[in-house]
Amino acid sequence: MTRKQRRLTLIGSAGAVLALALGLILFALNDQIVFFQSPSDIASQQIPDGQRIRLGGLVEDGSVERSDDAHVKFRVTDTAHSVAVTYQGILPDLFREGQGVVTEGVLTPDGIFVADSVLAKHDENYMPKEVAEALKGQGHWQGGEGAAN
Amino acid sequence: MLVELGHYALVLAFALTLVVSVVPLWGALNGDGRLMAVATPVSVTVFFLVLVSFAVLTGAYVASDFSVVNVYENSHSAKPLLFKITGVWGNHEGSMLLWVLILVFFGALVGVFGGNLPDDLRATTLAVQGWISAGFLLFMLATSNPFNRYENPPIEGNDLNPILQDIGLAIHPPLLYVGYVGFSITFSFAVAALILGRTDAAWARWVRPWTLLAWSFLTLGIAMGSYWAYYELGWGGWWFWDPVENASFMPWLAGTALLHSAIVMEKREALKVWTVLLAIFTFSLSLLGAFLVRSGVLTSVHAFATDPSRGVFILGLLCLFIGGSLSLFAWRAPMLKQGGLFAPISREGGLVLNNLFLTAATAAVLVGTLYPLVLDAITGEMISVGEPFFYLTFGPLMVPLLMAVPFGPILAWKRGDLLAASQRLYAAFGLALLMTLFTFWLWGMERVLAPLGVGLAVWVMAGAISEIVTRVKFFEIGPKRGFARLYGLPGSAWGTATAHFGIGVTVLGIVTSSAFQEEQVRTMRPGDTVNVSGYELTFDGSVPRRGPNFVEEVGHFTVREGGAFVAEMEPSKRVYTARQMPTTEAAIHTIGFSQVYVSLGERRNDGAVDVRAYYKPLITLIWIGCVIMALGAAFSMADRRLRVGAPKPAAKRKQSASVPAE
Amino acid sequence: MIFWILISALTALAALSVLVPLTRSRASVEEAAAQADAAVYKEQLAAIDRDLSDGLIDAEAAEAARTETARRLLSVHDRKDETRPAPLSKLRIRSVQLIALVALPAAALGLYLALGSPDLQDQPLAARLSAPAGEQSVELLVARVERHLAEDPEDGQGWAVIAPVYMRMGEPDSAARAYSNAIRILGPRPDWLTDMGEAMTVSNEGVITELARSAFQQAVDLEPTAVKPRFFLALALTQEGKTDDAINSWQTLLEGADPQAAWVPVARRELAGLTGETPELLPALRGPSQADVEAAGEMSDDDRQKMITTMVQGLAARIEANGGTVAEWGQLMRAYMVLGKRNEAFETYRRAEKVFAERPAELAKIKDAAVTLGLSGS
Repeated sequence: MTRKQRRLTLIGSAGAVLALALGLILFALNDQIVFFQSPSDIASQQIPDGQRIRLGGLVEDGSVERSDDAHVKFRVTDTAHSVAVTYQGILPDLFREGQGVVTEGVLTPDGIFVADSVLAKHDENYMPKEVAEALKGQGHWQGGEGAAN
Repeated sequence: MLVELGHYALVLAFALTLVVSVVPLWGALNGDGRLMAVATPVSVTVFFLVLVSFAVLTGAYVASDFSVVNVYENSHSAKPLLFKITGVWGNHEGSMLLWVLILVFFGALVGVFGGNLPDDLRATTLAVQGWISAGFLLFMLATSNPFNRYENPPIEGNDLNPILQDIGLAIHPPLLYVGYVGFSITFSFAVAALILGRTDAAWARWVRPWTLLAWSFLTLGIAMGSYWAYYELGWGGWWFWDPVENASFMPWLAGTALLHSAIVMEKREALKVWTVLLAIFTFSLSLLGAFLVRSGVLTSVHAFATDPSRGVFILGLLCLFIGGSLSLFAWRAPMLKQGGLFAPISREGGLVLNNLFLTAATAAVLVGTLYPLVLDAITGEMISVGEPFFYLTFGPLMVPLLMAVPFGPILAWKRGDLLAASQRLYAAFGLALLMTLFTFWLWGMERVLAPLGVGLAVWVMAGAISEIVTRVKFFEIGPKRGFARLYGLPGSAWGTATAHFGIGVTVLGIVTSSAFQEEQVRTMRPGDTVNVSGYELTFDGSVPRRGPNFVEEVGHFTVREGGAFVAEMEPSKRVYTARQMPTTEAAIHTIGFSQVYVSLGERRNDGAVDVRAYYKPLITLIWIGCVIMALGAAFSMADRRLRVGAPKPAAKRKQSASVPAE
Repeated sequence: MIFWILISALTALAALSVLVPLTRSRASVEEAAAQADAAVYKEQLAAIDRDLSDGLIDAEAAEAARTETARRLLSVHDRKDETRPAPLSKLRIRSVQLIALVALPAAALGLYLALGSPDLQDQPLAARLSAPAGEQSVELLVARVERHLAEDPEDGQGWAVIAPVYMRMGEPDSAARAYSNAIRILGPRPDWLTDMGEAMTVSNEGVITELARSAFQQAVDLEPTAVKPRFFLALALTQEGKTDDAINSWQTLLEGADPQAAWVPVARRELAGLTGETPELLPALRGPSQADVEAAGEMSDDDRQKMITTMVQGLAARIEANGGTVAEWGQLMRAYMVLGKRNEAFETYRRAEKVFAERPAELAKIKDAAVTLGLSGS
């Protein structure tokens, strides 16, 4: 191999690895990201069946129903609209009625959201950012800058 | 009085870092030895001053001095002593102080142990370290001062977030910070090399041990954090691709690349410019991590209470250091002399390949971490990039890298023989194939990827062993002389083999625990039994209990296998009284390398309770592998000699040409 | 004084760490870099020889390594001399000395005086708790008694002492618990029973629960002439809607009363309310009685809203008049939320924050309340 060929080998392999990485990233970004939706978004737009979304809002007061084998049903609301959610599993420690929650899963054709993960706030002072923004969008959130500690 | 003394020490340390930022550099640029000599004593004094203020703050925590705002906000007089101490860094201000303490400690170390460095290199390096220290001390004093006071102190503190009241807090952040901040030294060395326009032999010699030190602590810190999340959060997961986890993982990936390229630089004086760039990248990613955690752009378990002014300040620091060092690189890097030449198939070539894949993987993680933030900032659209993204991008990049790992150390420097290397790996390859088939046989065809993953892990582990066997020529010279050579093997060779073996162990743990785990979620009443992977867990009932600062409801489980008693497990739900915050305490029982994991959900009124039970085969290997990797780094560090990587003299033909490394 | 001595000592140490190295005789730097490199390579050559004699590498490999190292060693000598340094200048040393002696202490002291509070003493909790009682605030005294009671929960007298203090601090729950402990340990006393009932009633926002009622009843049994428990029993009857019994009780109570007593107007008003005479309206807020609540149940939504609004206005007026306790501010925030007036609730929160800005413990409670109500996020 000549000096030039060796250099080309090196540059070529570097290029190949980078192209592979870039391709993977673009493909995954196209396919694997999950959009955040509020109940009002779901009410106003068509979401393709089987598409994963994140649904966030407040757990509606009095809507939590538990049944056997850790099945739980509740409604997520942004005060304008609400969506029924089913989930099987252990709810986070800070999951409470009237508090912020983010769930991830799929919307069934009959309008029920089947969640496979439920995230609540991590501590007493934390409102999931997306939820706060969605509520702001609905005009029900005046926490704003000054109120945060 | 002591508290104020600690405050003054911190202010004085800041003023002194301004001196060390300017005076030694001024000396170095003018060849004035007296000015350069200032660097070491001042760096040591700065360390002493920050140590004083850290000790004072710790004292205030231990004595529950609620006149210190930081203590009031994060401590409680009823907290056990250990958590009073660890609570010092369980919050933004205190952890920043620990960060700076480690930063100036490393500066002092360079000063004290840098006797064999050229004066101007040492002085410039310490000046650069001084800039970083000054920046972060100013950040603390301006926006996050831990010594703010109350004139009329409250009686009781707010207590520490209960999730943090764990032995994990004692270990995880200090390890992680030593890792993060350790990379500041290679950064400072790199910037100093750019300023002085040359890379000394001594510089090349220093980069590897410092990188190894930081890297091994970061490895342990990440592993500890992962295990902590695993047992504390009660979700049974050990890695969430959470932006903050990624923030610690990116410097680790870049640092891994750095320590490999540092080997090339040390032994072959090649890849100098690339190493300088990687050193800058690695520490920049550490800084990016600090920004993500402390600026409030993220919400996560790790995010501290947010304050917009902090975010802006730290973003400014970030731009200053990253932008400054990269501009300096663009301007000065062409002045650095190119190093040794090598062929594509060679040890150097293998290390370049490693660097390529690791940097590409770092880039993938970086994109996945920042994309949602950037998209939110630009379009306001909120998305999340979750595990699937990382599986799809990070995974495929790791597979070829792992496949290549056993080849690297077996190839010769400068020009290697791939065929000869492959022959030495026949045994490893056979073993890997055997394990793959065995796993197929054991689990059937339903999970195709898992047996391949097991095979890959075994390949990496067996490859590491083959390397040692090849190096001592065990089969050629007989066991007696073989053992003698084994003993005499340099630490760096042991280090490489051990660390590579550790990677294999971790991969094995990841593959088996995720592919073959069994999960059961049930609502159980006293007397109910649930079966996971052959272990019968009987719920005997639950009892209330009181801790020092919490009350808990403890569930009692008996684990049996085929009717025979195995263990008792006690997961619980706690409520920490000061904050009225509930937490889940999972119970974990280790059997061999595998674990049974039980956590409780909400308790119903009728005494039934939601239970999540897992069997996680070989899961502990994930963390054991990390410890083995860190051990490998320690072996390598213990090898203090600078070794020359000379090509094999066998090749008679005049090498037609070699490629410059860069 | 000691403080300033220590400060000076630290400053002196810092200045010395700059000044002392300046006195060092000057080393020639341009040589040093090349020398350091050469030293590294020479050490390396020695290491190769050592490895060879230890049998770790064979002669061939050693030769190759030696050649490589020698090549590097030669390149060190090839290195062009860097620019000669400028002659030593006195000015540089002078200016650094000036920095160490003047700028450094001035900057550190100036910044510290701007940021720190040199007059504030350390206040470790243990020392504060053991300070003479005269110098302690009520909160501290309470904390001290609480600590004592945590260690010795069977000290009835302790509970009896702390109970009224809780009441004054606006913590009726704690007060009721303390009274009940005192009674459990030292036996029932009419005044404790009465105060316990009162505490329970306050914590229930004016509604007399069954538990509180039985406490008052027990007090009357022990001391049939006591006015206070009988007053509350009459109030309980009123709330329960047993109008005849209530009228009876109020009348008996008012008969032997000192007309100047503070409770008399309230009793008259209650009585008037029951007998149908026009009651005098008082601005003072009281919790809705059972009857009010029942009435509210039958009201139209509009009327209920009005009733709640009236209550809230009473509360707001009261806070305006006398500053208000944490509990009252919290109540007002909650009430606004119930009414769906988020803006007002938020405004109230902001005002409460200002009112309690100097009292962190109370401020924290306000914040907690705001978080619970969803008024404050992080």
